[in-house]
Amino acid sequence: MSADEFDPAIERLFAQAPQFPDSVFFEADVAARLNKASRFRSAALSVAGLAGGVIAVRELLNVNFSLGPNGVSAQAGSGAVDSVGAQGGLAFQSLLERSGLGDAAFGAMGSMGGMQMFWVTAGVLVALLAAGVVKLSQQI
Amino acid sequence: MAQPLRDLHDVELAGLAAGGGRREFGELVRRHGPAVRGLLRRMGAQPALADDVAQDAFLLAFEKCAEFRGEGTFAAWIKRIAARLYLKRISKEARYVAETEAEGPAPAVDSIGRVDLDEALKGLSEAERLCVSLCHGAGLSHPEIAAAMNLPLGTVKSHVKRGLDKLRARLQPGPVALGSASHVG
Repeated sequence: MSADEFDPAIERLFAQAPQFPDSVFFEADVAARLNKASRFRSAALSVAGLAGGVIAVRELLNVNFSLGPNGVSAQAGSGAVDSVGAQGGLAFQSLLERSGLGDAAFGAMGSMGGMQMFWVTAGVLVALLAAGVVKLSQQI
Repeated sequence: MAQPLRDLHDVELAGLAAGGGRREFGELVRRHGPAVRGLLRRMGAQPALADDVAQDAFLLAFEKCAEFRGEGTFAAWIKRIAARLYLKRISKEARYVAETEAEGPAPAVDSIGRVDLDEALKGLSEAERLCVSLCHGAGLSHPEIAAAMNLPLGTVKSHVKRGLDKLRARLQPGPVALGSASHVG
């Protein structure tokens, strides 16, 4: 702004905010739209989480779990998933054995069918995902 | 005990709103809503459109609250957001007539021949009104206005200068402000 444009009187007039009789309604409208946007975001996050969960479950379904006397092994459509699944299973098994729970845990898992164990795992994963989504939406 | 919202500074409220505090943001809306609504009307928006854009501006500000660091005032920050949203809206609706030179109606005057700013602005052309309001109401610089309105810088400067000259003339108390009023002797 050049010096000849600076006019304190005009600046003052622009700085004065007019009063509106419906200010309360305006504030309420903004609050309502904020709440609506928040609900929409929560719904979108839930849908995204659910879709992600379904995809994860579907991918897990493609992995063939089998419990044998030599421990957990996994087979999947891709070599990478196979390797990761098998390594994860072995690490889990060694962790249980080190903590002295190996036999008990595998005894229990052995009595549970492979498919049952899969559904329990999937259920836990979905519950964790849902809890994460709720927590995230609350933070946002 | 928590401090009442009314006692908190805008920067503190914005910080709390950035963390998701809707009550704190509501206080900011209460404080600055009239200024934003007023600015948009001064820029030439009809009341319904002005309120709609003002609400959009506050929603956007809530999303971007973390970006407000308190270098300037919150009022200036939200006004700039609202002004830019309004410009975007009118350019999208092809309602933008920046080159139009047609002037508005003569402003209404009170009993002593004085007009207020809102009335005086009605006497400016749409382009002058926008440029003057963006410069003095929203605090945008001439190059920022030129970029936002897609106009040459020289054109913006002349719109601001002409608009201010008209405003000064119209805001003068007494017979000067009457302008076109004829006195038959």
